[in-house]
Amino acid sequence: MLLESTNLYAHHYLVLGDMESWEIVHIPDKPPFPLHQQPTVSVYAAVIDPKHAHTLVRKLNEILPLESLRHAKRVRKQHLDGDDSQLHTIPQEVVELIDSYQLETFITKLHNSVLNSDWMCGLNCSNISGITGFSEEESRSVCTFMKLALDLAKSDTQMVNAAVVVDPSNNEVIARACDQVHSCSCSISHDVTNSSSLEYSIQSHDNMLLNSSASEPKLLFPGVSCLNPWGWSNRNSCGRACSWHPLRHAAIVAIEHSAARDRRLFPGNGHVFAETDHVQLDLSCPSSKKQKTKSIQAKVNAELNSDSNGSLSDLVRPYLCTGYDIYLIWEPCAMCAMALVHQRIKRIFYAFPNPIAGALGSVHRLQGEKSLNHHYAVFKVSLPQKSLDREGYH
Amino acid sequence: MASCGGEKMPEVIEFMKLALEQAKIAFDSLEVPVGCVLVMDGKVISRGRNRTNETRNATRHAEMEAIDVLLEQWKKEDLTKAEVAERFSKCYLYVTCEPCIMCAASLSFLGIKEVYYGCANDKFGGCGSILSLHTSTTSGENVGRKGYNCTGGIMAEEAVSLFRNFYELGNPNAPKPHRQPVQQT
Repeated sequence: MLLESTNLYAHHYLVLGDMESWEIVHIPDKPPFPLHQQPTVSVYAAVIDPKHAHTLVRKLNEILPLESLRHAKRVRKQHLDGDDSQLHTIPQEVVELIDSYQLETFITKLHNSVLNSDWMCGLNCSNISGITGFSEEESRSVCTFMKLALDLAKSDTQMVNAAVVVDPSNNEVIARACDQVHSCSCSISHDVTNSSSLEYSIQSHDNMLLNSSASEPKLLFPGVSCLNPWGWSNRNSCGRACSWHPLRHAAIVAIEHSAARDRRLFPGNGHVFAETDHVQLDLSCPSSKKQKTKSIQAKVNAELNSDSNGSLSDLVRPYLCTGYDIYLIWEPCAMCAMALVHQRIKRIFYAFPNPIAGALGSVHRLQGEKSLNHHYAVFKVSLPQKSLDREGYH
Repeated sequence: MASCGGEKMPEVIEFMKLALEQAKIAFDSLEVPVGCVLVMDGKVISRGRNRTNETRNATRHAEMEAIDVLLEQWKKEDLTKAEVAERFSKCYLYVTCEPCIMCAASLSFLGIKEVYYGCANDKFGGCGSILSLHTSTTSGENVGRKGYNCTGGIMAEEAVSLFRNFYELGNPNAPKPHRQPVQQT
């Protein structure tokens, strides 16, 4: 059996009512290679009598486990074309096995990483939903929240990055924020892009991404912090009324809001915690997940309204942003991407790659850094071409 | 790059002791024990310690705390962005543990002059361990991007022993995987 390559590069098209197509693409934890450029290792293969397959696999796994090639099957029904290049010598025990079954070995190439290959077994590298596809309902939610983020990004006097944190179990918005690096009451300054230059920059956004050295991309969206994180001091500030902060990128502010919400809803002493996994066990009512979340939500709302410190804090306090998604317009920089690791975000959706400082595939790829103690899944949501246009999009 | 380890100037040790003091305050507050001081013109101008449990915000690392104290103060003084940037470019950070990827990126954005750290951070470190965000070696298009010198191994044993004591007690706020960092995907 082949592993479907679409599992790793799941493309999802969704046609909205207004006939604009959105697309959700998983950004894998390793840089994608075109099939013919994938790194390979040479391995011995041999044609065997099918009735010996079971015995041979068992014996080979004892003698020579394929530790570094766990993604590969040991047996496949058809053989590949081999070549005669030299390989390391075959261990004596394997030679004995070859002799006793009178096998003719040949050398074939095996892909080194978990990508598409004839010899691949169906290995599921992550259980985070979405990597192998979205239901239509899920896709619709993703688009809804991305639109919300887009509206936020456009609500400032100039285009900024925006972040929306969502609990996907009940589609509740946990926090929303925009870049606050330049947030002044009087932020309309000479360098704000006017309507026509904005249109120009949208059209050239794709070109910029393909050939980022050709232009100065940071000029296109100077207000987007993650695109230009070193440039905060180049812009005018305006004295006391100004609440600028060089590090208050949208994701950082959204994390702060979600932490504030946590403290407000669960004002315990800070040493009682519940992981979301525990939450469902602790709940007395063994009904469906949806009903549980609804009842939690009802309690949360009651708590908010009555402003009381109830028993809720012992029950459902989340651990940071465990289980939550975040929607960003631009791929986050290393600071924001690592902040989202720290805060235990489950999935990141962004609309535009960030070739200058992006840390989820463009410059760095934090989702593939194995040493980190938490890993999120990353998706790029392609927006309809005109969606950055303030006037033309609703 | 500044010399790595080697001869340790007495003033570097003195400032690191102050950072360790902050780490001990974090420890006593049941926080992961990391502390730091920011130094300009030979004087400590800001201190910070980890407050992630208290704030339930896992980004509130010692460095972020110390930076925010400074920004608050400088804004009260009505400094312009350019003046603030100018001051950061004269700042030295002394921190008990190598800055994580988030903090290392932040320090680069701010344009800090130099970093001295205690122990390396081989899971999250952004100043050489996992990523090298302190170097300015990427393509020239990143206008305004400055690197900063980074020297590790300053009183590393003290920093590590604080961590060891802390994790023996157990981080009361962390879920299990955090206490015993085992890869699980």
